[in-house]
Amino acid sequence: MMDGSHHPRPEAALRRAAGRVTAGLADQRDAWRHGFTRRRVLAGLGGLGVASLGSQLVTTRVAFGAAQDGADPGTTLVVVFLRGGVDGLSVIVPRGNGDLAVARPRIAVPDRALLPGDDRFGLHPALAPLHPLWTAGRMAAVHAVGSPDLSRSHFQAQDCLERGAATSSVTSGWLDRVLAALGPGTTFRAVANGTALPRSLLGREEKLVLTELQRFDLAGGDQLRDRTVAALTALYTGLDHPVAGHAQVTLRALAAARELADQDYQPVADYPDGGFAGQLRELARLIKARVGLRVAAIDLGGWDMHTWIGPVDDGGMRRHLDQFAAALAAFSTDLGPALEDVTLVTMSEFGRRVAENGNAGADHGHGGVMLLLGGGLRGGRVHGGWPGLAPDVLDHGDLAGANDYRDVLVELLQRRLGIGDPAPIFPDHRPTRLGVFR
Amino acid sequence: MAVHRRAGVLTTHRRQVLLGLGAGAVAVGALGSAYAALGGSGLRPALSGGPTSPRDAGGFADRDASYGHALGEAADLGAAGQADSPEAAARAAAGATPTRPTPLARDPVAHLLRRASFGPTGSDHQQVESLGLSGWLDRQLAPGSIDDPVAEAVLDQLPTARMSAAQIRAELEPNSWDAMFELGQATLARQFWSRRQLFEVMVDFWSNHLHVTCPFGGAWATRTGYDRDVIRAHALGRFRDLLHASARHPAMLRYLNNDRSHRRSVNENYGRELLELHTVGVAGGYTERDVRDSAYLMTGRTVDAADEFVYDPERHWIDPVRVLGFRHPNPTRPGGLAASDEYLDYLAHHPATATRIARKLAVRFVTDHPPPGLVDRLAAAYLDHDTAVVPVLRTLFSSLEFWISVGRKTRRPLENLAATVRTLGITPGPDTPAGLAGLYWLSHRLGQAPLAWGPPDGYPDVAAAWGGAHGTLGIWNSHHALANGWSDGLSYPAPESLVGPPPATAGDYLDTLSRRLLFQPVQERHRTALLELVDAGPDTPTGEAGLDRAARHLVPVLLDSAYHALR
Repeated sequence: MMDGSHHPRPEAALRRAAGRVTAGLADQRDAWRHGFTRRRVLAGLGGLGVASLGSQLVTTRVAFGAAQDGADPGTTLVVVFLRGGVDGLSVIVPRGNGDLAVARPRIAVPDRALLPGDDRFGLHPALAPLHPLWTAGRMAAVHAVGSPDLSRSHFQAQDCLERGAATSSVTSGWLDRVLAALGPGTTFRAVANGTALPRSLLGREEKLVLTELQRFDLAGGDQLRDRTVAALTALYTGLDHPVAGHAQVTLRALAAARELADQDYQPVADYPDGGFAGQLRELARLIKARVGLRVAAIDLGGWDMHTWIGPVDDGGMRRHLDQFAAALAAFSTDLGPALEDVTLVTMSEFGRRVAENGNAGADHGHGGVMLLLGGGLRGGRVHGGWPGLAPDVLDHGDLAGANDYRDVLVELLQRRLGIGDPAPIFPDHRPTRLGVFR
Repeated sequence: MAVHRRAGVLTTHRRQVLLGLGAGAVAVGALGSAYAALGGSGLRPALSGGPTSPRDAGGFADRDASYGHALGEAADLGAAGQADSPEAAARAAAGATPTRPTPLARDPVAHLLRRASFGPTGSDHQQVESLGLSGWLDRQLAPGSIDDPVAEAVLDQLPTARMSAAQIRAELEPNSWDAMFELGQATLARQFWSRRQLFEVMVDFWSNHLHVTCPFGGAWATRTGYDRDVIRAHALGRFRDLLHASARHPAMLRYLNNDRSHRRSVNENYGRELLELHTVGVAGGYTERDVRDSAYLMTGRTVDAADEFVYDPERHWIDPVRVLGFRHPNPTRPGGLAASDEYLDYLAHHPATATRIARKLAVRFVTDHPPPGLVDRLAAAYLDHDTAVVPVLRTLFSSLEFWISVGRKTRRPLENLAATVRTLGITPGPDTPAGLAGLYWLSHRLGQAPLAWGPPDGYPDVAAAWGGAHGTLGIWNSHHALANGWSDGLSYPAPESLVGPPPATAGDYLDTLSRRLLFQPVQERHRTALLELVDAGPDTPTGEAGLDRAARHLVPVLLDSAYHALR
């Protein structure tokens, strides 16, 4: 992707817009950090008139000032948080494991039903739409993933994962710190699909939370939108205060979102119904438009299966994995060659108890699974240590955490996002290399 | 404050050293704080060398201090010092020039209401004018003297709001979250409509300082009582009593795992947060050994099967303990409760606790990066009055720093929502619980549902921790929804009714509306832009400008402005 002319015209226009030099919040914040007076910062912002605001995509000159149309927008990290504690032992299944069969007489996925994984594991058959990606080396997994949080509490475990630290001294989200490490970028450099900001993105870096591009809009409809934007722009122009920076970025994002939303767009793949697929469709659109998306966070809930994980062909797990796999397969197809520039990783707060419970479900456990999709992987295999399921190696009845989730993410950040020093992102962790990426 | 600054210097120095040494060194350097993480998994010995103090591990005194420092704000506000009364302080500050300009008018009445309430209303403004600054503050500092019919009537519609834990257990399904949700609704109702506004601000302050997240499964029956019997009972009392009450409440003991702590398997979560968050803070200079002894001393405080606090001597660890300057022989199991009460007294009266609470109050009421001189004076008032908070607040409201700081705070999402409800005059309506539920979820989408911050450190109180496009757009759109009464349940005044009898010209209409909603006129260029929004000039006759119809656009945009975003 060296030349904007290879892209359809609207995307090329967006990229040109992205390449335009401007000043913005990142400069402003940077200036505060270094103790410059606001006055000087605002002098820079003063150049942004109402008209020019409409087409600004870039928050700072640093990212795109020199690059122009040929700018490489960089690899995109997509984090899918599977809320509720996904049962890793149903997704990536240890083959020929007698302990599992004993512990789970009703819900263990039988060997004969598994899709080929690697020499130790098979894949739940519901992952069939993704199996070609697995085989082609564009998908991998890490099993027995643990975190320092041993509480078996949804909230506490999610919080620990999303802050990227167990210590309460780390309050920003780990993805916010990733953004800080990546440096300034475009308005679209960080997107969360949803109505609320995920904990992982909480912090000082700018990011957009969108349900759909079409919905990132001022309430009140078309009638007075332009005039409202003009009034808001006037109300926040020349104001010597951080709220002015937030307002400017919001107005810029509104304009950019509308510019994209106005364009005719057809995904290349047929996405299934459902919010999760819709979120992936939005992300694919942004990735293909090459508007500088570096970090995206989306959620898929419903994995808290205390009841009725069910047998392999009939139960909550089957239903959820069907939905999950169909959506991800469409996302991969839609991206086409751009999948090489994407790394998608799933996280979940914990795995589930090895032994099934009285309701053909499983209660909260510990060690879980992370799935990875995209370019740069040593794919088609399950990485990391595997402690097994023998009763004497279980952690209070749960799969032990043999691989720290931060080890997966550190390698991802280093290999795929070019972040050399992960210490600021996972400040209380000393990483071990797992070899998930090439 | 000296301790504070010394810690800051040390931090910078350490960071530089560690950066030079690379990632491995940073990981080791961070062990002091990494350690805090392991609260839930029991005690661990120091990893190497002697006991270390988190103060020396690299970091700010607390999160909000870190944010405040990161912005590099000048601590000089333009005026400093104490006066004999709020009026004298306001007069003295009015004669000085703030170091930072603000779009907010330097009107002492509006300033006081922006800080000491969840947002000015017209009637509050009149009340301050008639009672005077001191008179209004005196009343607010004696909330029992203020009738509160509107908030009380709403509470009557939230059945669990006045229930004890035993009643909630009797009335609701086990582990129901209904009572906790109703507490969220009740919190909103009181912030919106209670006439004891300064009391509610302090309830919010202490709820975040001694935070027990809500909802939290372990407190499904007890969170309501924690709000009433701990926070509200002592919000304008002595911190010593507040701390003691929290240390005997099942919600807190569950939240920080002290209920499971046992002399044979000590859980240090509560013992640590007691030091780090509730009292002396990281700047207190405690070590890992102190944390361990703090946890040992608190063993025995647990929760029984009926969700009541109980001291179980069998769980209590004995033998001498030492935390900072506190010593106790701690010789018997039955004596453990009294020993730990002495320890709580020690912590409540510790100078580092005074400084920490003083600084947090200054952040709440004055500015995100408060001047050390103000913090020192507030801390002295705290110590001079046996940890009573009212004298600290009186000191604060008689400081020049308070009165010069107009516009230096940014409303957090929930503060913006509450101020919007209050200035628009939205009141209880045909189905108030449903209306409050809708606004609860709105606050949730904005990222600040009442009491819902997850970690034990409470919601950030500084602007740098908030903001961003999502939040900004979300707040703008909430103004539109609230101004136009898009949700059911409450009583929403029609936007065209806000000005009263319509003034003759569009310019006058806008000025009247600005004073009604923002308590000041807007600057001339903003006036021009707002008139352009409704396609009118200043002299266009009101009828011709169609302002009755256009009010539904004009009202939210006025609230979108910095005049409403700041406080």
